[in-house]
Amino acid sequence: MTTTATTEATTAQEAGRAPVVSFRQVNKSYGAVRAVADLNLELHPGETVALLGPNGAGKSSTLDLLLGLRKADSGTVTLFGTTPQRAIEQGKVGAMLQSGGLMEGVKVKELVELARDLHPRGYPLDQILATAGITDIADRMVDKLSGGQEQRVRFALATAGANDLIVLDEPTTGMDVSARQTFWGAMRRQAQQGRTVLFATHYLEEADEIADRVIVLHRGRVLADGTSAEIKSRAGARRITFDLDEPVDRDALHGLPFLTSLAVSDSGSAAGSGRRTVRIQSQDADATVHALYGLGLYPHHLEVAGLGLEQAFLAITTASDATPATDEETAR
Amino acid sequence: MTTLIKLEIIRALRNKKFMFFSVIYPPLLYLIIAGGADSKPIPGMKLDMGLYYMVSMAAFGAMTAVLLGNSERIAKEREKGWVRQLRLTALPGRGYVAAKMAAAATVSLPSILLVMIVAAAVKGVRLDAWQWIAIAAGTWLGSFVFAALGVAIGYMATGDAVRPIAMLCYFGLAFLGGLWMPLTLLPQWVQNIAEWLPTHAYAALGTAVEAGGAPHMKDIAILAGYLLVFAGGAAWLYRKDTRKA
Repeated sequence: MTTTATTEATTAQEAGRAPVVSFRQVNKSYGAVRAVADLNLELHPGETVALLGPNGAGKSSTLDLLLGLRKADSGTVTLFGTTPQRAIEQGKVGAMLQSGGLMEGVKVKELVELARDLHPRGYPLDQILATAGITDIADRMVDKLSGGQEQRVRFALATAGANDLIVLDEPTTGMDVSARQTFWGAMRRQAQQGRTVLFATHYLEEADEIADRVIVLHRGRVLADGTSAEIKSRAGARRITFDLDEPVDRDALHGLPFLTSLAVSDSGSAAGSGRRTVRIQSQDADATVHALYGLGLYPHHLEVAGLGLEQAFLAITTASDATPATDEETAR
Repeated sequence: MTTLIKLEIIRALRNKKFMFFSVIYPPLLYLIIAGGADSKPIPGMKLDMGLYYMVSMAAFGAMTAVLLGNSERIAKEREKGWVRQLRLTALPGRGYVAAKMAAAATVSLPSILLVMIVAAAVKGVRLDAWQWIAIAAGTWLGSFVFAALGVAIGYMATGDAVRPIAMLCYFGLAFLGGLWMPLTLLPQWVQNIAEWLPTHAYAALGTAVEAGGAPHMKDIAILAGYLLVFAGGAAWLYRKDTRKA
């Protein structure tokens, strides 16, 4: 991997080669708290990436470092092969911050006009307003907006010009369901135009639906990095549920192939009848079910379902918490 | 960048309460201090109280608008995260400082003019046309120095610390620079310090014109030097502000 920093404006072809974002051995601490620990990360052109993690996982710190709003204690952060500040000055990055206040005492359209004017490749005002869905509130004062409207104005500021990278920190906080759908619709169009999109979220379904790459962050480290399907499979891909009338032989069930977890409980619908409900997580549901019949059992109400990203996420972070603390973690 | 400057001026004009008090307060103070004074020259000077205080109150009023107003509003904008958002645009540091200074100047100009009108109407101050114009222009341009200081203070301090720091600079500079009482009435050591303060040089622009001469080069040089330091410092602080604002 070449680390040569290009000083001239990156053309599309160059952007195709250099990573859009690169973190190398990046550390950031606040006092005794390590917010970002030895972070290595690379984003490539055209990717839509979700940064996922519980509160305090280091998502916002990572984005702050990426945007040059904070300085790393050690390691290097580059955007398009140059410093974050330079990339921003060249108009390559549009960002929507969680804590991004808005200028008060001005109208929505005046503020958007400002963002458009400051961007080296700004879009026409009407187009920005329409894309962000704020045409109807363009004449409203910024101080008098609802939380969801404010978010859409922030989105308009982040997409006021032709950026190569769009960074969003928990963008849909405060939006209702329909606003959220409109928002992600607009975001998908940005991605389809070849932009790299990075967003931090704690809504797992958003990561699952929107992102083609999910990075799970926990205690300032990358815990998992892949497609949401890969992350789900890492935690045990599928969930198998069925009822059994006959006495349950736990040992036999434990012997099923590709099994990652097993739970047996009284069947809620027919308590006292001796019917049991079995819940299994399996890496390969086909093989597990096949072997189940091979045991001579007759499962009722057999259901095979994909494991949600949420369960996968919980499985991965819980597993990480259970592992013995490393030196760095004990220092916290 | 012109859009930001325009927008900051519009915001300043829309803030009617701030505008009203910033504009009314200096002429009022002028009437209170110089209102009852006779037209005898101040000891050690060629000017009487009415003339002297016209310049110093115009200067003091302009300082109020640009220094106190700027520093508090900027500190508030940093806390709310607007400046963080602005730092994610291609706006250079000097653009931000220029816009804030332009907005401040919009407020300071009417307050300067009002002090002069009150001086002419109530205290019967009479000067040549060129003197009126030179005093107004000099006082207005000089206010940019303190506007830049206001931006710098807004960047150095956060939250509750802004007001005391701004107040200390404001009152300290006003008093030691001779805006409240003629320097010739103050002890020698104060006069020695005052000579190098921006406020003294600022008021000296106007008093030199009132006495019938041109502003001294030394005063202009002192003001230009302070402007460079304050504006440069403010722009530097804007870009380097990597603390959570």
